[in-house]
Amino acid sequence: MPAADLDENAVFAALASPLRRELLDLLRAGERNAGELAAAFAVSRPAVSQHLAVLQQAHLVDERRAGRHRVYALRAGPLRAVTDWLGPYQDFWTERLDALGQHLRDRHGEPPAARPDEEGQ
Amino acid sequence: MRRFGDSIRIQRDYPYPVSAVWAALTDPEQLAEWLMPNDFRAGVGHRFAFRTRPRPGFDGVVHCEVLTVEAPSLLRYSWRGGPMTEPSIVSWELSATPTGCRVLLRHENLAQNAYSWFVGRTLRLGWADLLRRKLPATVGRRSRAAS
Repeated sequence: MPAADLDENAVFAALASPLRRELLDLLRAGERNAGELAAAFAVSRPAVSQHLAVLQQAHLVDERRAGRHRVYALRAGPLRAVTDWLGPYQDFWTERLDALGQHLRDRHGEPPAARPDEEGQ
Repeated sequence: MRRFGDSIRIQRDYPYPVSAVWAALTDPEQLAEWLMPNDFRAGVGHRFAFRTRPRPGFDGVVHCEVLTVEAPSLLRYSWRGGPMTEPSIVSWELSATPTGCRVLLRHENLAQNAYSWFVGRTLRLGWADLLRRKLPATVGRRSRAAS
């Protein structure tokens, strides 16, 4: 599916930049206008605008006009592609942490907390 | 929270002392029982590998280097395996609770790897296409020309 591949490509390309990831972080806290976003970075305002444009092209961010301001908001949908990437790691570690619990039980016996007579220790 | 889409963070409480959990994380034999066979040693700079069954797209080896050892509360190592082109970072933070040990696992620097993975996959698809169609066509032409 070429269309989906293109979107995925745009999302990962957008996320490859640390500054753009920081922009997404800021927007996660809520809508911000262009000036507020630019003020958070040491780079020039046009540079920040360019990064915002990349995020918009990846459909990660929406832009709207409010009076004299451009306001940016996060669009979480396409980040599913990233969640798909992180998913296997999440599953892997969840399973391994379960296995660690089982390993500790096998090696040290049932935990004291599981014995009612020792509760309150 | 770290950067967007960059990391995994899981917290668990185990009803065992911190020392027991620390041993499970740093004794290679124990580690092999619940994680993977390895040649880990708790020394900063030690390079080691976790080895598991290979599967498509993963040769079964995770390359690691010990970054931080602060017994019994902090262990960090780099982690590069499968499609990763640059190391990610795995860190274990242990703290005592009234009933045992709290473990905070972080796996960080994954977003850049996601991008590399995607690019790598695209490149591989490109190569696959080349090997599947273009190369046989070229070889076919050349062998026909030679005969």
